[in-house]
Amino acid sequence: MDKAPVSCLPTTPKMSKAKKVLDDAREIQNPELDLCDKGIVTFEELPGLFNMKNITRLTLSHNKIRNVPGGLANLVNLEILNLFNNYLEELPMSISSMPKLRILNLGMNRLNSLPRGFGACPALEVLDLTYNNLHEGALPNNFFMLETLRALYLGDNDFEILSPEIGQLKNLQILVLRDNELTELPKELGELTRLRELHLQANRLTLLPPELGNLDFTSDKSEVKLHLNPWVAPISDQLQGGIVRIMEYIRSDTYKFLYKRQMSLNAPPPPKTVDKSKKLSRQRNAS
Amino acid sequence: MKSYRDPNLSPSPIEILSLDHSALYKRRTRDEKQFDHSFASDDYEDLSDDVPKQKPPPIKPHNVVKNMSLSNMYCSRCGDGFEPQEKIVNSSGELWHTQCFVCAQCFRPFPDGTFYEFENRKYCEYDFHMLFAPCCGKCGEFVIGRVIKAMNANWHPGCFRCEMCNKELAELGFVRYHGQALCYECKASAKASALNKHSCFKCHGIIDDKPLRFRGEVYHPYHFNCTACGVELNSDAREVKNRPGITANEQNELYCLRCHDKMGVPICGACRRPIEERVVTALGKHWHVEHFVCAKCEKPFLGHRHYEKKGLAYCETHYHQLFGNLCFVCNQVIAGDVFTAMNKAWCVHHFACSLCDQKMTQKTKFYEFDLKPVCKKCYEKLPAELKRRLRKALEFAPKSPSTT
Ligand SMILES: [Zn+2]
Ligand SMILES: [Zn+2]
Ligand SMILES: [Zn+2]
Ligand SMILES: [Zn+2]
Ligand SMILES: [Zn+2]
Ligand SMILES: [Zn+2]
Ligand SMILES: [Zn+2]
Ligand SMILES: [Zn+2]
Repeated sequence: MDKAPVSCLPTTPKMSKAKKVLDDAREIQNPELDLCDKGIVTFEELPGLFNMKNITRLTLSHNKIRNVPGGLANLVNLEILNLFNNYLEELPMSISSMPKLRILNLGMNRLNSLPRGFGACPALEVLDLTYNNLHEGALPNNFFMLETLRALYLGDNDFEILSPEIGQLKNLQILVLRDNELTELPKELGELTRLRELHLQANRLTLLPPELGNLDFTSDKSEVKLHLNPWVAPISDQLQGGIVRIMEYIRSDTYKFLYKRQMSLNAPPPPKTVDKSKKLSRQRNAS
Repeated sequence: MKSYRDPNLSPSPIEILSLDHSALYKRRTRDEKQFDHSFASDDYEDLSDDVPKQKPPPIKPHNVVKNMSLSNMYCSRCGDGFEPQEKIVNSSGELWHTQCFVCAQCFRPFPDGTFYEFENRKYCEYDFHMLFAPCCGKCGEFVIGRVIKAMNANWHPGCFRCEMCNKELAELGFVRYHGQALCYECKASAKASALNKHSCFKCHGIIDDKPLRFRGEVYHPYHFNCTACGVELNSDAREVKNRPGITANEQNELYCLRCHDKMGVPICGACRRPIEERVVTALGKHWHVEHFVCAKCEKPFLGHRHYEKKGLAYCETHYHQLFGNLCFVCNQVIAGDVFTAMNKAWCVHHFACSLCDQKMTQKTKFYEFDLKPVCKKCYEKLPAELKRRLRKALEFAPKSPSTT
């Protein structure tokens, strides 16, 4: 993998460069394929790829791929699949049957949904869905069965609600919800006892569930990002004091009372303030 | 003549009046012996069989006779005759001057004409109670009807209760224990606990050896036999929770240790007791969920991931503390050089741009995106509007990873 050539030049003669990477990999039995920024539009430009069963990593970032064929699931040894910055609108259902797939980067695509049964991915540990068009209704029913997940990146999407089923992701250590439309958080977040990174900045949140106070963010490997939300005054006042101060506060009876009262008021959520129409992921594929 | 041969009286001596001189009293104390029948327990008398359950009906209507043949009519009390116009009291064929028809104790007329008769003497209600009806040792009221004589006092049946569990003792019987009336069960457990031992729920005897616990009670093991082989049980017997295919009925059953082991119930590697509920299988053994714990902090994993090293299991925190960092990409313990940045660690093979997977060295400048490293080339490819937001939200600055 040391010798994997990388070029950021515009690719002119089609096929050739990508094909050369495949040929080289086959020759030296390299299980890691770097096909970053090769101007690839379809998998047809990668002949024989699905027969390379020994592959453990496939990096296809910065291409123009619109479609992933179901045959990808033939790569039964694939552990890392990186499709960051492509034109994907959907994925094949077969992806959930890849037995060793641990790290899946689908960031900066045009995904409006995930395929049915996606939650059955047996080994998924890191799922990056940053910068797509996903919202709570776009997740398949079994999504939160991804028990092996330790990092879930959902930044720059359109979630208004986070399902209480999030509590089932017992191994989650990193949860990124930056730049969504969230108006409230489920108390089940407090069940994610391994969580050490929580990114909530730039949403429409006013309250934190008191149950979040059950979690321990005191380690130096912890990070909680809360800024750019319309927090109720007692929370925004505490922001300066850092996460330790906020956690102390939301554990207090004073806050629990305030939270209960605010929730019972049933006030309408704060309005959307960000215009996302210019997002790259909103662009439609030209057919 | 209407006679009350045996009014409803308790044969109890009453302390508030001294009646030793009275023939009535003597009669009653004599009768007491013939009524007395004791329970197996000492000190217990119950007159329920011999004594009517109801308060005796007071005798009420008595005729006032006018001008019968006065010549042969005499007052039953004073023996004098009657004046022609005088009112005469006739009660059951006997006649009285109205001023002679009075309570044998207080010599006052009977209120409402109600009187109680005993041994041919008539008493007002008040004196009848005072002389003959006993007071309850608990509530202090007269006991009319069934009287429980026990513990040197008289009781309403509902007032004579076990001092420990408050069960009514009239039907159960009782034992005196340190001056208290207790039911048999409470006496047994009081005695056992005084000896710091259990009392058997079945025979109430003290359990000297190890007790057998079954359905929440303790017993002498020898009261039971193994559900499977029928052998008399000892304290090693196992209570098996009802599970389909193991016991037919709804309740727990007892098995001797041999039959129990044959049933294939797994044994916990920590406490060596059978596991009736969820079984954790790890390190080649079975464990109670709550007994499968971190070798360092001893907290149960409760379904969380554990890490094994040299036959011991550790929680993530302590495994890392003891054996080092996990690489963010391969999730393996990092043996050699460790790259640490943004709260994460990477092995040398996996420290790479998170967007293009290009390897980075400790000299490579990188940007931070959601606390992941991004190479310069990739960062520049990000859409302008995203870069603007990221720049605004965070102070973006190229950082070098630190090596340890
Ligand atoms: Zn009287
Ligand atoms: Zn009483
Ligand atoms: Zn009792
Ligand atoms: Zn017994
Ligand atoms: Zn155990
Ligand atoms: Zn531990
Ligand atoms: Zn690694
Ligand atoms: Zn990169």
